Amino acid sequence: MPLQTDGIVVKNERIKSLYFLLGIYCPSIANQIKPGQFIMLKTSDNHSPLLRRPFSIYKNFTNNHPDKRKRDCLFILYKKAGKGTQKMTTFKKEKRISLIGPLGNGFTLPHLPSSTPILLLGGGVGIVPLFPLVEVFKGRKLFVFIGGKTKEDILCVEDFKKYNANISIATEDGSLGFKGTVVDLFLSSKETFQNKEIPYIFSCGPVGMLKELATRLKSKNLNCQVSLEARMGCGFGACWGCVVKTNHPKTPYQRVCKEGPVFNLKDIVWK
Amino acid sequence: MQNCDLTVKIGKMIFKNPVIVSSGTFGFGEEFEDFFDLNQLGAIISKGISLSPMKGNPPPRIFETEGGIINSIGLQNPGFQEFIKNKLPYYKNLKTHLIINFFGNTQKEYIELARRFDSVSGISGLEMNISCPNIKKGGIVFGTDPQMAYRLVREVRKATKLTLIVKLSPNVTDIALMAKSAEDGGADAVSLVNTFRAMAVNIHTRKPELGNIIGGLSGPAIKPIALRMVWEVSQAVKIPIIGIGGIMNVEDAIEFILVGASAIQIGTANLVNPRTGIEVIQGINKYLVRNKIDSIQKFIGTFG
Repeated sequence: MPLQTDGIVVKNERIKSLYFLLGIYCPSIANQIKPGQFIMLKTSDNHSPLLRRPFSIYKNFTNNHPDKRKRDCLFILYKKAGKGTQKMTTFKKEKRISLIGPLGNGFTLPHLPSSTPILLLGGGVGIVPLFPLVEVFKGRKLFVFIGGKTKEDILCVEDFKKYNANISIATEDGSLGFKGTVVDLFLSSKETFQNKEIPYIFSCGPVGMLKELATRLKSKNLNCQVSLEARMGCGFGACWGCVVKTNHPKTPYQRVCKEGPVFNLKDIVWK
Repeated sequence: MQNCDLTVKIGKMIFKNPVIVSSGTFGFGEEFEDFFDLNQLGAIISKGISLSPMKGNPPPRIFETEGGIINSIGLQNPGFQEFIKNKLPYYKNLKTHLIINFFGNTQKEYIELARRFDSVSGISGLEMNISCPNIKKGGIVFGTDPQMAYRLVREVRKATKLTLIVKLSPNVTDIALMAKSAEDGGADAVSLVNTFRAMAVNIHTRKPELGNIIGGLSGPAIKPIALRMVWEVSQAVKIPIIGIGGIMNVEDAIEFILVGASAIQIGTANLVNPRTGIEVIQGINKYLVRNKIDSIQKFIGTFG
């Protein structure tokens, strides 16, 4: 059940280039938010900017976590991109901020045979909402594909290394790993795409990347859940501003904040 | 804290307080029940309902501007039948007024909808959105033509005994004249303002920011204009006025009440602070207590 509540900033630091880690002490949300869900954050104390900004959950710690400093805290990883995120870079520790959450449907966690490999395919900051899935699928064969424009846009590598995941990196300019898109890298992978053991895929990233993935997977019998991004008004289903076009027979326009942000890749109708 | 009498009467409706939540900003109510007790509100206005379902506009449907938002949702709604079957039952458990916002493409559609809603139980009143194009008259917006608006209100008035509020478009030369037309047609009240036609352009893609190019501007940016319009209308009509336009907090609400609004609607603010409605109700009470006014009736329109 989403709620409107305050949190306290416990950490706000630059990770690399334009990417920052924000830690918020917020027991009510930290203890119930699930992988794939998000929060709506008020980035200003006034009307500039006016609307809250949506951020997917990156990490969250419950009230009985062994590390006392992390207990009841949630973490988001944001890119300094516009007015809202610009304001966020000025948040200091102890600052009180307003949050609404947990929001969205989150990832569906299917019952899969233990031999089914899990594949996470993330582009840029899209790798962040996929991270909570490593804990869920601990003990399984896990393949992580991380893509970005340059090596400055490759995130979470150290995080994934701690989970013994099979990591592949692609950069469009070739400054790190494979030169090309992360979709190209995935499709050329003998271990996953070209393997007879069909993986279950979770993906998140820029529209161009997801559109390409949809096109290339069209003829294959692969399950793929995608987490979408959208400009949001309220973030909790009231205004119908954040819709995406789907092949739903009655209501083609579905809310990314309510029926999503996670959809089956097959159900999205791309422009 | 003593409680002032915040009761307001509009048409046949008696509101326990003057705070109403605006159509299109409150979903159908369910989305807000986790945030506060909806029964505390003076009234809830539903998403606009049309005879047939409407899919709405292609995205992007919203764009944030300085102190506002431009929206082009496109009146997406499930249509009359689906609304009655799947959405109305939720309201049966609520103890606050439900006002249905409705619209049509032709005068006939408006009349038919009003006639149908008239016999549905659980509805306290109707708010007619006249900011729609009349497709039978080449797309002239009902709310921009005084004669057309007067005729529409007059015919819809005959079709229903429910309290009839007419929601005015601000995209006109003389809103007082439009309000007078609605009053002459038999409206119990007018609510103003709906959104202002607006647009935005992305200079990198060189394309419009909205899928529909033009949308409606709302939020703090429009308050000074909306307030002026409410005051002008208060000089022109005798029927109650419901003030809408960038109300974000109690201070904004009180400005509108001072210039003559008997009630106010909270719209855009709901998206940012879902609890705005409750905070405004408590704030109005506090303000009146502090100013030793025991009833809001003694306060409405006491500006100047």
